[in-house]
Amino acid sequence: MKKFSILGKTEKMDWFFIGVTLLLMGIGVLLVYSATSTVSEIPFYQTLWFKQIAYFLAGIVIAIGLTFIKITVWRKIALPLYLVSLVLLIIVLFFAGDVKGAGRWIDLGFFKLQPSEFAKIAYLLMISTWLSKHPVDFLKFKTFVVPGLLFIFPFVLVLRQPDLSTALVFTMVTLTGLFMAGLRLSEVFFIVSPFFSVILSHSQVAYSQLFWGGFICVLGFLLYRRRLPIALGMAIFLINIFAGYTSTMAWNHLEPHQQKRVETFFNPMADPKGDGYQVLQSMTAIGSGGLSGKGFGNGTQTNLSFLPEEHTDFIFSVLGEQFGFIGCAIVLILYFLFLWRAMEIAKLYAHPFVVILSSGVCAIIFFHVTVNIAMTIGLMPVTGLPLPFLSYGGSFAMTCMCLVGLLCNMRLQGYKMKGKN
Amino acid sequence: MFNSLNNNEDVQNRNMKVLIYLLLVWIAFCILGFRLFHLQYVHYKENFERSENNRIRRMEIEAERGFIYDRNGEILVRNRPSYQIVIDAEQMPRKKDAKDSLFRLLLEIRNELGVRMLDSASLDTAFQRTAWIRNRPIRILEDASPEEVAIIEEHSQELPGVYAIIESRRDYPYGTLAAHALGYTSEISEKQLASEEYKDKYESGDRIGQKGLEQQYDIEFRGKDGVKTVEVNAYGRIVSEMKGMGEQPAIPGMHLVSTLDLRVQLAAEKALPDSVRGAIVAIDPRNGEILAMVSSPRLDPNVFSLKRKERNRGWAKVALDSTRPLLNRAIAGVYPPASIFKLVTTGAGMEHNLLSVNKYYPHRCDGGYQFGNRYQKCWGVHGNLNVVNALRLSCDVYFYQAGLEIDMERINEFGRRFGLGEEILGVDIPGERRGWLPDSASFNKRNKRSGWRWARGLILNLAIGQGQLVTPLQQAVLVGSLATNAGVYRPHLMKELRSRDGTVVKRFTPEIVRPGKMKESTHQVILAGMDSVVNHPGGTGKRGALKGIRVGGKTGSGEWKKGEKTHAWFAAVAPLYAPEIAVSVILESSGGGGALAAPVARQVMEAYFSRDSVFSRKENP
Repeated sequence: MKKFSILGKTEKMDWFFIGVTLLLMGIGVLLVYSATSTVSEIPFYQTLWFKQIAYFLAGIVIAIGLTFIKITVWRKIALPLYLVSLVLLIIVLFFAGDVKGAGRWIDLGFFKLQPSEFAKIAYLLMISTWLSKHPVDFLKFKTFVVPGLLFIFPFVLVLRQPDLSTALVFTMVTLTGLFMAGLRLSEVFFIVSPFFSVILSHSQVAYSQLFWGGFICVLGFLLYRRRLPIALGMAIFLINIFAGYTSTMAWNHLEPHQQKRVETFFNPMADPKGDGYQVLQSMTAIGSGGLSGKGFGNGTQTNLSFLPEEHTDFIFSVLGEQFGFIGCAIVLILYFLFLWRAMEIAKLYAHPFVVILSSGVCAIIFFHVTVNIAMTIGLMPVTGLPLPFLSYGGSFAMTCMCLVGLLCNMRLQGYKMKGKN
Repeated sequence: MFNSLNNNEDVQNRNMKVLIYLLLVWIAFCILGFRLFHLQYVHYKENFERSENNRIRRMEIEAERGFIYDRNGEILVRNRPSYQIVIDAEQMPRKKDAKDSLFRLLLEIRNELGVRMLDSASLDTAFQRTAWIRNRPIRILEDASPEEVAIIEEHSQELPGVYAIIESRRDYPYGTLAAHALGYTSEISEKQLASEEYKDKYESGDRIGQKGLEQQYDIEFRGKDGVKTVEVNAYGRIVSEMKGMGEQPAIPGMHLVSTLDLRVQLAAEKALPDSVRGAIVAIDPRNGEILAMVSSPRLDPNVFSLKRKERNRGWAKVALDSTRPLLNRAIAGVYPPASIFKLVTTGAGMEHNLLSVNKYYPHRCDGGYQFGNRYQKCWGVHGNLNVVNALRLSCDVYFYQAGLEIDMERINEFGRRFGLGEEILGVDIPGERRGWLPDSASFNKRNKRSGWRWARGLILNLAIGQGQLVTPLQQAVLVGSLATNAGVYRPHLMKELRSRDGTVVKRFTPEIVRPGKMKESTHQVILAGMDSVVNHPGGTGKRGALKGIRVGGKTGSGEWKKGEKTHAWFAAVAPLYAPEIAVSVILESSGGGGALAAPVARQVMEAYFSRDSVFSRKENP
């Protein structure tokens, strides 16, 4: 028998990882409880924290189920799942009633299905399957054709909802997949450089021309260092210049609510009761927590409903107010441990499918965590991405638990992925 | 990396990538950590203060308005709780489209009957006012029913800045009873706010007393608003009260014990139906306390505490009414004093020894009197009379001749001595008018435009009380002080101001405002005249007589317009030789005073003397 060790590389079940996950879920229930406990006088089984526990329990069952599915099945069902997710996205785009601005759900009566959540997993499986079967080379155009097509459909459909942040999740998964499948970091950088050009050259960024100029210089230097074919290098460079100058045009094509979100992101104080209200209240809540927080249940900001959507998107503010910097740091460390243990799987087994899938899961979790927390502390615009394991919400809890299930599956059965692709 | 599971270089390459990946994660988390540290440690203080200010608000506590009691402790005016739906500028959305949608949402709210609770015009005004009134909530629905409050509370999540507060509003349990004396309350008007009198004492949105006692003693009723510190949530709802933060309790307003006697007032109200224009004043001539004051048609002061819609309807009804229910006829209605003025003519004559009980005028009453080329009629044929009988029969011919002999200067001087004429008596409610006693100078001045000049012939009219202007209050004061011969006391409605625990803070001290004195012989003649009017055969005021109590009085039928019925006057005092109550009654364009007004006065006096005597006699020994 193997020697029992918690962090052992050969341990088939990563109990440490599972422990971190359960801990995060526990914190999540606690925070949802404290954020919503002021709404009293309803039986406990109708409270949000109890529902959250129910979601997590259901999620754990699903995760266990996924863990023991034969690992080779994933690559076979990837394409059908992907197509189903596209159909669902189309349905929600054209047939869902529009509730509160954006029609993102399909109401199944007992459950509000969010096709974009389902699409995250389906797309992850699909791109991992494809990239694990086909070599990747930055200099070969055909490398990008199929991944590009796979990417563009869910991306555009989600963007049309409109849900920019979720669309960016697909981007992150794609980039991570390409990176783990063989692209260099600098090559990934070249791919996303036009995006940076757009952001940095935007007139609302302070000293935008300076930043963008510096960025262009760095880009030029890297292109020179990488010794890319002259035509490709020039093309990337010119695309960046073009993107920079047309960013204002692109700005005009953003949805008004997205424009406003970006605008208030740069100056949340300008309109404390309007768009910047959420961010300002959230920052106040977190900042007023201090080093050790106001204590569990003593959050004045949250308990007196100054924080909007405190139990969903702004759950981190609840944490910051009640548990302070120490609490926030502990949660950040837990997330890091989660990602570290997940990436260990990629080191454990060399099969590209396992590597790309695990790192893709990490990309999704990482992107959600970073963007959500950055939003609550005023570093990024308000996007509406929930915080994994902490935010209230059935669909997203399911997604997270599916992802955990996939990771456990990879860990447990990764060795079975042998042979060529 | 592909197909090379055992290739060492590829494994290293892949591990390197994992490391790079984790490094990126680490960097991102460090940035988040730095930012958190910045917010939670470096800027902790500001953020903490902001979070405190978020939830802590200083609020005014409305002081409860004092009640009004009648002289025996019956409640005439009290308060009732009233729900107000308000909008708070600090809590409502700032963005225009959010505001618009809130506006539309509010308009769509229907009450339990399916009727819209708010109308767009007043809601629009309220929304506009939120732009500049930021320190206090603005009422959008006044005096809401509990059902309406429940509907608003149900939708509180969708209606940021809209909530219900409890205010106390005035309640007049007897409705229109003594409405003109009591007054009413309403929100202070822009005009009042701008005036010197109100500017520093009140602020916009205050409900203040209007007219009557409510206005006169507003400061005393109001008390002093307090301040408290409360914790509120994001919707502006109070979650808890915080102690030890400089709160000041509200000092409730004082109660006012009025001089009104509910039973006398009730009898007076009953005797004067709303369909008849007129007024009744009953005072105690020994100290000027007003026992009853009725002005008809009446208004219901409760209307002014209702919802805007109902209030406006009620307001329009009284303001546009041609019978002018808003006018307090008892103090602000001016009428010719008619034959009651003959008492003044008599008094003036007696004072200057121009009249006596034994004096007869050469011209006996044969139905009229020839003066120059004018023939002035009398209302009957009375023959030769002395002064007492002339009063009893109210003979005009006698007083034509007496007036000519005495002259207006002496008559007016006597009238002024007993409260008529150029100065108001100073009753403690606003709006009193002073009337007019014309003489040659003031007549010419007043009629400058029309070109009428003073002529001696006018004395004929003035001697019988046609041409002067007096108020019903003045008439009551006149007969009362003629009967007492002890000075004219300032008529007043406030008896005592009491603090909440019942201690008397201020008591009205009776004050003589006119000499009200005459020679004893004059007094005797006037008493005899008033006595004979009521109690002697043929007396015009016999319908004013009471069983067991000697009533003295004088009737009057005021001519005010050709072809119209006369104003029916009756002024009485009882008991005549130890007066406790003086009553004046006027019924506009109704007919003769003896027939119509005297019974009304009798009912009032009856009520006064049939009161639970244990109570009243003790108070008025």
